[in-house]
Amino acid sequence: MSDQGIKSRPKYAPLELDPAGRHHLLLVEGPALPAEALAEGFEPAAFETWTVVNRSALLPVQVVDAQGESVRPFRAKGHLFSALEERLARETMGLRLYATGSEPFLWDVARIADAAGMSRQEIRLAQAGSKARRVFCVHCRTYGEGVTTSIFTCGGCGASLFVRDHFSRRHAAYMGVQVDAEVPGAVPDAEELYA
Amino acid sequence: MIASGPIPVRIHEIEQLSPTLKRFAFAPLHGGALPTPSAGAHVLVTLRHEGRVMKNAYSLVSPPESRERYEIIVRHVAQSRGGSRFLHQSVARGDVIEIGVPGNLFPLASKARKHLLIAGGIGITPLLSYVPALKARGARFELHQLCTADEAPVFEKLLAPHAAGEDIFIHGNGRAAFDLAGILARQPLGTHVYTCGPRALMDAVITSAAALGWPAGKIHRESFGDASGGLPFKAVLAKSGIEVQVADNQTLLEALEAQGIAAPCLCRGGACGECKLEVLDGEVEHRDDFLSAAEKASQKFIMPCVSRARTAQVVLDF
Repeated sequence: MSDQGIKSRPKYAPLELDPAGRHHLLLVEGPALPAEALAEGFEPAAFETWTVVNRSALLPVQVVDAQGESVRPFRAKGHLFSALEERLARETMGLRLYATGSEPFLWDVARIADAAGMSRQEIRLAQAGSKARRVFCVHCRTYGEGVTTSIFTCGGCGASLFVRDHFSRRHAAYMGVQVDAEVPGAVPDAEELYA
Repeated sequence: MIASGPIPVRIHEIEQLSPTLKRFAFAPLHGGALPTPSAGAHVLVTLRHEGRVMKNAYSLVSPPESRERYEIIVRHVAQSRGGSRFLHQSVARGDVIEIGVPGNLFPLASKARKHLLIAGGIGITPLLSYVPALKARGARFELHQLCTADEAPVFEKLLAPHAAGEDIFIHGNGRAAFDLAGILARQPLGTHVYTCGPRALMDAVITSAAALGWPAGKIHRESFGDASGGLPFKAVLAKSGIEVQVADNQTLLEALEAQGIAAPCLCRGGACGECKLEVLDGEVEHRDDFLSAAEKASQKFIMPCVSRARTAQVVLDF
């Protein structure tokens, strides 16, 4: 069940600096850089880093730590995304964008970058942390967040959705299709697959 | 239906733009409309000169929606293999010639947020079809034309119909006064750069842009290779045993065609890769923009439309 033979899923590689870039902006979904997302020899000081701390406490605008790292914390993802849109609108050619975090976070970033005219050659993504999926119900177009099971109930229309390995970069989500469309009520047991 | 050539056209108009530049307008011989070209497209013009047949690529300078006329601009080059001399000296209004269906190896990038156009001299030609297309789309662009002081008024006149309110700049004071790196460094994210002109200018644009962090996918260059001729050599076709003499002012592809051999080809400018042949013996002087540096070094392939043998003989797996 876990390998559905769909080959279009994005592949990720540990982050390393693209030496061709002139300026490097690194977006982290959590409060700190996850070691699993970094290639050997990764040098954080070469990057301007934005993090998401998920805290309401008043945050400093920017911290420069002892290693010379420039880190700007955001209270939540949405705040970081808005700042990113504004930043990219003012940027010049030569920027490289890096992101690490869950798959929905990575592809939300990619979508903002694409809208700003960045190509895939200018963006690097590394998955880290939870493998939970964002699922797009193809019947009612509702997104379900944090899905860890093979089948889940759509929050929009109540359908039992089978979570396909078919990933949409545009929606930053996996496709969910009604599992009992042929035989109503014949819903297999949900398996925990995407923790 | 996919159109295929050749298309007979009548020379509708010839305009002398400068001592070395002429604009030719072609109209379909039998009336009707020519195929719709895209911005940046070129046509292969069949030239018959002193018993030789050449097919030279020229960018269309007419706007893409112009289907009743195609226009090209040709510079008369002193070291010409005969193509530009033939067009400048032997072709008259009313003559009938053959052209191919337009091809495009230099298209506009549809996702670009801004287009930066940099041309040198007669390299302006593909950009003359870009500008009206970009204006029609409401796309943001910036054009820099480098040329000699003498020719600046010629290019000013060519661009004048499009220039009002646009970022169009003519630089007639030479390369030294042109701040290429400064222009590339201040472009907004999502800009694509296009360059056409002398090889040194195109190389400078590519090198400077890459050094400033532009990804390869956003750097575009028009490429018509270098078919300027060279030392004569012999090509041996291993499969058929045919031997073909290539004259000093002829390309390998033209020599094959002169023997009635239907060699594969498309752009005839060393850009598209269609004509690639395997080399079994002999050394190649590569003049194309298709093969990678590693492929060129391997000496295993040749692009017959532009490249020549450096040895007296080359054996091809053909």
